[in-house]
Amino acid sequence: MSGATEHKPAGFDAVVRYLLTKRPELTSIDPDLDLVENRILDSLGFVNFLYVLEEQTGEEILMEHVTPSDFRTINSIRKRFFHESE
Amino acid sequence: MSTPVLQADAQLQSILDRLVSMSERDHYDPYTMFDWPDSLPEDQYWMTPELLSIHGTKVAESFTEEQKWAISKWESVNFYSLNVDGIRELITEIIARIHTKDFALSSEYFHHMIGEENAHMWFFARFCLLYGGKVYPDKGVQLEMKSEGESAHFLVFARLLLFEEVVDFFNKRMGDDDRLHPTIRKINAIHHQDESRHVAFGRQIVSHLHRQLREKLSTEELAELELYLKRYLRKSVDGLVNPAAFKDAGIANPYQVRNEVLADPAFHELERKMLKRSMSFLVNEGIFTDDVLPRS
Repeated sequence: MSGATEHKPAGFDAVVRYLLTKRPELTSIDPDLDLVENRILDSLGFVNFLYVLEEQTGEEILMEHVTPSDFRTINSIRKRFFHESE
Repeated sequence: MSTPVLQADAQLQSILDRLVSMSERDHYDPYTMFDWPDSLPEDQYWMTPELLSIHGTKVAESFTEEQKWAISKWESVNFYSLNVDGIRELITEIIARIHTKDFALSSEYFHHMIGEENAHMWFFARFCLLYGGKVYPDKGVQLEMKSEGESAHFLVFARLLLFEEVVDFFNKRMGDDDRLHPTIRKINAIHHQDESRHVAFGRQIVSHLHRQLREKLSTEELAELELYLKRYLRKSVDGLVNPAAFKDAGIANPYQVRNEVLADPAFHELERKMLKRSMSFLVNEGIFTDDVLPRS
């Protein structure tokens, strides 16, 4: 579990740092780790996470334009909302 | 053959009969009940000032009175939008259970509840559309598999009760607040009148279902239900602070303002007041072991 927070834009780092606060025992998150199965992200915490994402990307996220799979891993979040490839 | 989740109980039956009678007595036509002026004055509060998320916070000190009026307009549209979302969930869950074996006992009452909630959803949505031009979209997503069984029934009714109790805290105060426009006062007062019955039913069914669960679940499983409901309350309270409302009110840094409000002791004091009644109920019923919520 390393490398997920290196050489990425500040906004992306802030998103990862926010996710890490949900599991304080972790120091990093594998970019392909399933965030839902590993209880880092769930429905009850989703809206606050979405606002962190909106703040860091500078764009309002319209729910009709996204699917749950967009939020499943660090990699899927980076690709979908920070427009980067792996 | 399994026994119904909601089992025949003389006390519960008597309460349901009384609530049905009260619903019939208080019935009204929502479509002719209200005056809907073309517009509402923008130079006054649309919400009770003390109920605004920013009330008493450090960040509010930098806002002018005009900005606070604008925030009150858009936070009221956000509040009624949250009502629309919550009622949609409530109606969906009640319809999924009406005239099923598990809930035959309460089906007659469910008919009244669905009718009343449909009326509420209509007038809240009408307010948002008429005076805000939109209903703020629900930003929620179902990420996990939905659970089933008696714990799921309990959680659904507990969620609905807590939603109604949080909303009622606002309705009761705004229905009585003569600083607010008569149309605003009336929709809050009417909603409070109906919700008093729904909360009474909600408390009965939540207590009833939790008593049954206590005989079947382990301490750890009951603690999981408690944590889930506390996190649900956290989500509900945080949802009252919407960056889109700050943005619509013309606030330049809406996400930063939201973060500052959520971290401000004044907001936690408002949270304590709005949850006081629910927390007492949940702790007294043994559903919660304490009244401490997780952080945002």
